[in-house]
Amino acid sequence: MKSVTFLTVLFSLATALTAGAQPSFSGPPPSRTVVHDASVRRAQYLQRINEALDWRIAAIDRQNVAGTVDLAAVSALLARHQDIELCNQRVIELMKTPGSGPFWMFPTVCVSFLGRDQLSAEAKAAIRTAWKSFQIRGDTENHWAMYYTSVYLMSELYPNDPAESWFNGKSSAENRAEARAYLISWMDLATTVGQGEYNPSHYIGEYAIPMMLMARWAQDPAMRQRGHMMLDWIFAGLAESTLNGVLHGPNSRTDEGSVVERWNALASVFSWVLFGNTPPIAGYGGWGNYFMAIADSYEVPAVIYLIATDRSAPFLQRDLARSRRRWRYSAELFMPVYKTNYTTKHYAVGSYQGGISDPIQTHVWDVTWDVTDPRGIHNTMFSLHPLASNHVLQMYFSELPDTMAQDITKQGKPSYTLAGKIVGCSPYEQVFQDLDTVVALYDIAPGVEFPQVNGFFSKDLINVTEDQSGWIFAEGGDTYLAYRPLAPYHWEAYRHFDGGWAAKQEEIGGRLLVSPHLKNGTIVQAASAFDFKDFEDFKNAIRRLPVEFSLKPKPAVKMMTLRGHDIVVTYGEAPTRDGEKIDYAKWKLFEGPYLNAEKNSKRLVITHGALQRVLDFNTLTIADTVTQP
Amino acid sequence: MPLLKPGVLFAVALAVGASAAAAPHELYVCASVNDNYVIGSTYVTMSGLFRRGGDGQWQHVGFNDVGLMAVSFDPRDHRTFYTATLNGCVRTFDGYDHLRVTTGWDVTEPRDVCVDPNAPDTVYLALPDGVVVTTNKGDTWERREHGLPTRGKYTQTIEVDRTRAGRVLAGCEKGIFLTEDAGKNWRQVLATVDAVLDVQQSPHDPAQWFAVSQSAGAWRSADGGATWAQVGGVPKAKAFYNVSFDATNPQRLVLGGYTYGVLTSEDGGRTWTERNAGLPAGHHVWRVAVDPDDGRIYAAVRSDSIYVSADFGRTWKAAGLPGSQVAEFVFVPAATNSTPARSSR
Repeated sequence: MKSVTFLTVLFSLATALTAGAQPSFSGPPPSRTVVHDASVRRAQYLQRINEALDWRIAAIDRQNVAGTVDLAAVSALLARHQDIELCNQRVIELMKTPGSGPFWMFPTVCVSFLGRDQLSAEAKAAIRTAWKSFQIRGDTENHWAMYYTSVYLMSELYPNDPAESWFNGKSSAENRAEARAYLISWMDLATTVGQGEYNPSHYIGEYAIPMMLMARWAQDPAMRQRGHMMLDWIFAGLAESTLNGVLHGPNSRTDEGSVVERWNALASVFSWVLFGNTPPIAGYGGWGNYFMAIADSYEVPAVIYLIATDRSAPFLQRDLARSRRRWRYSAELFMPVYKTNYTTKHYAVGSYQGGISDPIQTHVWDVTWDVTDPRGIHNTMFSLHPLASNHVLQMYFSELPDTMAQDITKQGKPSYTLAGKIVGCSPYEQVFQDLDTVVALYDIAPGVEFPQVNGFFSKDLINVTEDQSGWIFAEGGDTYLAYRPLAPYHWEAYRHFDGGWAAKQEEIGGRLLVSPHLKNGTIVQAASAFDFKDFEDFKNAIRRLPVEFSLKPKPAVKMMTLRGHDIVVTYGEAPTRDGEKIDYAKWKLFEGPYLNAEKNSKRLVITHGALQRVLDFNTLTIADTVTQP
Repeated sequence: MPLLKPGVLFAVALAVGASAAAAPHELYVCASVNDNYVIGSTYVTMSGLFRRGGDGQWQHVGFNDVGLMAVSFDPRDHRTFYTATLNGCVRTFDGYDHLRVTTGWDVTEPRDVCVDPNAPDTVYLALPDGVVVTTNKGDTWERREHGLPTRGKYTQTIEVDRTRAGRVLAGCEKGIFLTEDAGKNWRQVLATVDAVLDVQQSPHDPAQWFAVSQSAGAWRSADGGATWAQVGGVPKAKAFYNVSFDATNPQRLVLGGYTYGVLTSEDGGRTWTERNAGLPAGHHVWRVAVDPDDGRIYAAVRSDSIYVSADFGRTWKAAGLPGSQVAEFVFVPAATNSTPARSSR
C-alpha cells in the first residue's frame, strides 16, 4: 500500500492566520530575569495564555467563519465562554466531514470537554456522530499518545455507549480499558527505559496536549494523576534541553527549519508559555492553540521553571532514551539512546552515541549558541552522514522495499533523498561527547547513498577561518567554535526547504562543508568567549591541543580536549576518557544536577537548589520538598 | 473533490466483457487511493475494499480505509470476513455493515490475514512482530510464535494449507516457517536474509507451493512446503511482491514486482517471460492475480490503475481504479462453502 503511516499534520489553520497581533512573536525578546515570586510567575503564565487566546479569537473573521474558525478557534472561544452560538454552528459544520485519526481526534476531545457545559445538544451530538467515522490509530508513539488519550477521554465522557456506536465496534468500557492499558504501558516504558520520541522539536505538542487533556479531564483520579505526572516529566526534559528556551540537539524527530533555526519549533511555544524565556513561533505553532485553551489548569512547578531559566552555572546531564521500534534487520526492538547534554550560559552541546534512532527525522548532535534574540538566527553547528536507505526504512516501517524513500519526499520530508540534507542519522556515524567536545566518526559502507559527510556552517557565524592547522575557527554569539574535518572537503551553498511541503529549495545563507569520503570524522570544540583573552587566544589554545587521528583501517581520534581530558574514540569501539572506558550499560535514565532517575525505576527526582519534586509512578505520587539551609 | 460516500459506484469501464456478471467468482481488491492524504485529515478519496460489480464497475465496500492490506473470507458465509488494516484485524459478520476491530493495542499494522478453510473459526494474522491466532472468530487472539526467531519474525504473508486444518506457512524476514499445529509450533523450512513476501499453494496440486522474496527471487516446493528449491530464470536483485497460479491452466504462473513488472511462465515455471509491453512506463507492478474463471491476468500498477490481459500478458488494457495501489486481489466464489482464491498471501 501507499504508506500513510509516517505522515504527520504539522500545520493547522492557526499558523496561516495573519490577523491580529502576536505581541510576543513580533515584539522584543522576553526578559531573562528569573522570576522567583510564584504569584508573579503564575500571573505571567496566565498572561501568556491569554495573549494566545486573544490572538486566536481576534483572527476570527465574521465574514469568513469557514476560513477562520477551526476547532482551535472554537476551543479558544469555549475557553473564554464566548460566542457559543458560533461555536455550535462551526462544530456542527466541521463534524460533517470528520478527520481520520489522532490529529483530528484530540482537537475534538478538547472541544468536547471545553464545551461540555456550553455547547448545544445538537453540537455535542454532531461530535458524537463524527466519532462513528473510522479513525486511524497511526503507527508512531505520538500518534498513539493522541489516539488513546482521545479514546480514553471520549469513552469516559460517554461511558455506557454500545459497541456499534463507536468507530471501532468496541463499547465504551472496552475502549476505556484498551486505552488505559496502552497509556499505562507507554508510561511504564517511558519511565523505565526512556521515551522513544525524545526532545522532539515539534512533536512535544502531540504529547503535552493529550497529557494536559488527561490531567484536566480524566474522571479516574489515577489517570488524571498520570497525565499530570507525564506533563511534569515531559516539561522537565524540555527544561534541561533548552538554552534560554531554545531546544538544542539531539532530537528524535525534527525538521530542516528547526535544525537550522533552532528556535523555530513548537518546542519554543512551550518554552514561552511555561517559562517565558523565548518568543513563541508564528501562530503559536498551530497546535499550541489547543494547549493555550486548556493550560490554565496547569501549575508550572517552580523546580522545572528554575531548571529552564537558570543558566548561571554550566551543567552536565546524561539521559537514556530509546529508538523508534524496529520491526526487522535488528537484534533489538529498541536501540538504547545515550544522550549527553552539556549546557553553559553561552552555549549548549548535545548528542547521542550515533546510529539510527528514527529513520528519517533524527538530529544526532549539535552545538547551539545563545543569542539575545533567536528569531531568524541559525545558531548551530553540526555534521552528519546524509543517509537515505530503503533498507533502513524497512527496519522501522512495515513496508515493501522499493518506494519508501521516494514516497517520503512527497510526504512532508522533501530532503530525505538529497545528498545535501541536514536532517537524519546514520548507522555509519559514531559520536562521543565530552562536555563541550564532540568527536563524530564515520565509516560509511561502500555503495551507500550518499558517501559524504555534511558539516553545517551557519550564515550567522563570523570570522570563519580555515586555519593551516586543519582547524576551522568561527565565532557564534559569545561562543568560540573550532571544527576539525578529518578528511578533505569542499564548500557548497546550503539549500533549504522551507517546510515539509515546500516545492523547491532556497538558499537562505549558510554553507555545507561537504567531505565526500567514506572514512571520515569531525571534531568540534566549543568554548565561551569569556574564557579567552580574544579569538586569537582561543585559536592558539586549540592549535596547541594534542590531536592525533587516522582514518584507516577505522577512523580513530586521540586527543586532549580543551577541558584537559584525554579522549580516545575509535569507530566501533567504546570510547575512553582519561583512560577509562565509557560503559553505556551503566547509563542511568537521568543523571545530573537537575534530573535523576535509575533505569527501570519509574521515579524521577527533579532538583534545583533547595527545591525538589519527585514523580513516582510506582505510587502515583508527586512529592515536593524544600531543603532548609 | 467531494467526499465519496461508501457504496458509490466508480464510473470505470472495465474491459473484461460481459462474462463477469455470470462469473462464479466475485473479485474484491484491497486498494488505497490516497494521494495527498495525511493522517488526521479529511478524506478526499475512497480507499479500502472494493468489489467488482457485474457491470464491471468497482463498488466500495464498508468504510474508508487507507491502510487495508488484506482480506480473508469465511467460506461458510462470505458476509463474514476479516481484514488486515492499520489498526489491527477488523471483522464483520454482515458484509461490512457493522465492524469490529478485534485486536487490541498490542497488535498493529498486520500485513496479512488468513482464515483456515477447514476450521473457519480460526484466523491467522501476520504481524510486523510475529503471528497471532484466534480460534473463536476474533473474539480473542493469542500470540503463537514458538519456533519463530526471537528477532526476525516480521511476517509479511501467511497462508493456510487448504488440505489440512492448522497447517500454515508464513513468509517472514528470515524465511518461510511452517506450523502443523495451528501455530503452536513453527519450524523454518526456508532460510532467507530478507523477507519472503508471498507464499501460495497451487490450485491444481496442493503439494505444490510457490514463494517470492525480497532479494532471493522465487522458490517452489513440491512437498507441501516442507522443502524448497530455487526457481531458475527468475531475477533476484530486486523484489517480487507476489505470485499467482492460473487455476484454469496448471502450466501457468505469474509473478509481479515493482522493478520487474509482470513475469509469466506457461511451462510450469521452467521458463519466464517479461510481459510488460502495454503497461505504463516503469511497469511498477504492486500486485498480480489470475482470474480463476477465465485465466485473465490482473496487474495493479502502483498509483496508476488496475490492468487486465486476456492473452496472458501479451497485451494490456486499463481496468479501473485509477490512482490506486492494490494490496491484494481476492476472488470469492459466488457459492458459499468454498474457499476464496487469493492472489497472494
